[in-house]
Amino acid sequence: MGVVCVYPYPVPEEKSGQQVVDTIQKQLELLGAHKSGNFFVDCESYQSNLQTATQQRLLHLFHNSEQPATCFSVLDNGMCLVSDLLFEVLILKLAEKKSGKDSYYQQRKGFKVESKGQRYELGDFIIKVGSVIVASNFRGILIEVEYSPCVIPSECWNLMKEFIQSFMGNIAENPPAHIKSKMDTVYTPEDTIQQYLEHFNNFRKATSASVPATPNR
Amino acid sequence: MADNQTDALIEAINFTQMLRASVTKVFDNLADGFQDSQGNEKALLNEFQKSLLAVNNDFNELERVGNGLYPLSVNSPNSVHLSIDPATDKTPLYSQLIQSYKWSNKAHELAGYVIGPLDQNAKLKRSMLIGSTLQAKKLRRVPPSGHAATTVYVDNIVTRLDQKMPDISMSITRPLGSSAILQVSLGKILKAVVALRGLIIEWVTVKGYQEDLYSEDGKVDLWSQSRYQVFRKVNDSATAATLHFYSPHNAELALQSFLHWFQSYKTLFSAPCSKCGKHYHQGSPPTWRDLRNTDPYHDVCKP
Ligand SMILES: [Zn+2]
Repeated sequence: MGVVCVYPYPVPEEKSGQQVVDTIQKQLELLGAHKSGNFFVDCESYQSNLQTATQQRLLHLFHNSEQPATCFSVLDNGMCLVSDLLFEVLILKLAEKKSGKDSYYQQRKGFKVESKGQRYELGDFIIKVGSVIVASNFRGILIEVEYSPCVIPSECWNLMKEFIQSFMGNIAENPPAHIKSKMDTVYTPEDTIQQYLEHFNNFRKATSASVPATPNR
Repeated sequence: MADNQTDALIEAINFTQMLRASVTKVFDNLADGFQDSQGNEKALLNEFQKSLLAVNNDFNELERVGNGLYPLSVNSPNSVHLSIDPATDKTPLYSQLIQSYKWSNKAHELAGYVIGPLDQNAKLKRSMLIGSTLQAKKLRRVPPSGHAATTVYVDNIVTRLDQKMPDISMSITRPLGSSAILQVSLGKILKAVVALRGLIIEWVTVKGYQEDLYSEDGKVDLWSQSRYQVFRKVNDSATAATLHFYSPHNAELALQSFLHWFQSYKTLFSAPCSKCGKHYHQGSPPTWRDLRNTDPYHDVCKP
């Protein structure tokens, strides 16, 4: 597992999401990347339900196909717990109503976000072109680029930037905000999840702002 | 020696000409026929015998001189046949060949003179010894001892190199008896296993920072390749470098030079190529380092 950068890719008004995805994929194939299966990153959110607590807390539960036996739980204050998949069963138990008592957690309906699509490899680079789906509606494109041999973002940032710009243009002028604060530390899978959480939150906000679904679906 | 040879050659050529002349004379006489007009048969026979004797003399002389000659190009006597090649454009070949043979002989001789003084300066350990002592020392060739270094000696040298090179950290294990296995790690970039025989590098395996140097049974894994393309490329360069720095007479310096060169990979991901100025090329950063000045280059940009 190396350093990962996730960037949203703009979808112009006159084009559909699928068209843009096709263009990017064609460009990657021209660069010499080859397909290596599918990928997904998904997120479900739970809300705390304790009467004693003054405010409700959110818990985001992530899966990443790159780490298939792991689930990531992120609190809204950014704290992250990396655990075995079984942890999910525990959360589901906590979200159950028991003998008249309210559950500890409550799943937020229509809040599921998912980014999925084609996975590519080029040398030691792994590129994932993901279509973001919020409550089963297409909302945008997220591109994830991983440089697998390196674990220190500051070491390989210039290399990654050159590569990302070769097919995405100037979108990758700066490292993603989450990485910027920890350029010299060892990158972990958790950092990828934090980046996705930030983007997923933005997509959710955009969705609730424009309630009628956008036409470019 | 060469002058003698030339003189003898010229002499031989002269005798050849004389022999030809006398033989021609005999045949001329024979061809003209003997007409015994005055009944002087005896005089005619005498003259014929005289010319035959002249032929005999000339031939003996030529044989004498010829025995004193020796083939010029000892190494390739067949080259003589070049001189009798009937093709006219090849006629000068033989003389040119002789010239270059002489020339290379001379160069060899001069090189023999030069090697003495140069050898004194080439020794890395300069000493004040001059004259006969040095001569004696030079003649007594020390057999290479790099492979036979004792374990204590190797330990000392590795410890010293470890302190000397701030970017590298090394540790020694000896899973295969007295031969040391060095585990070298270079910051959070990469690590390597270097197998030594005495102080001579025998094998290098390069892997990523996150990859394990131990196989599943807990032994140091010398043989498996890195999962990542970039470290496999570095591995190839490092193997080539061990050959470049190989020096059985001064194995310590060889090891030090190799490690010094290897240290330059601390910028594996961050240094741009010295030729094209870019980081990225076909899925890789510049994975090759110049063996002298450790400048980074892409595979295709090598000078
Ligand atoms: Zn280059």
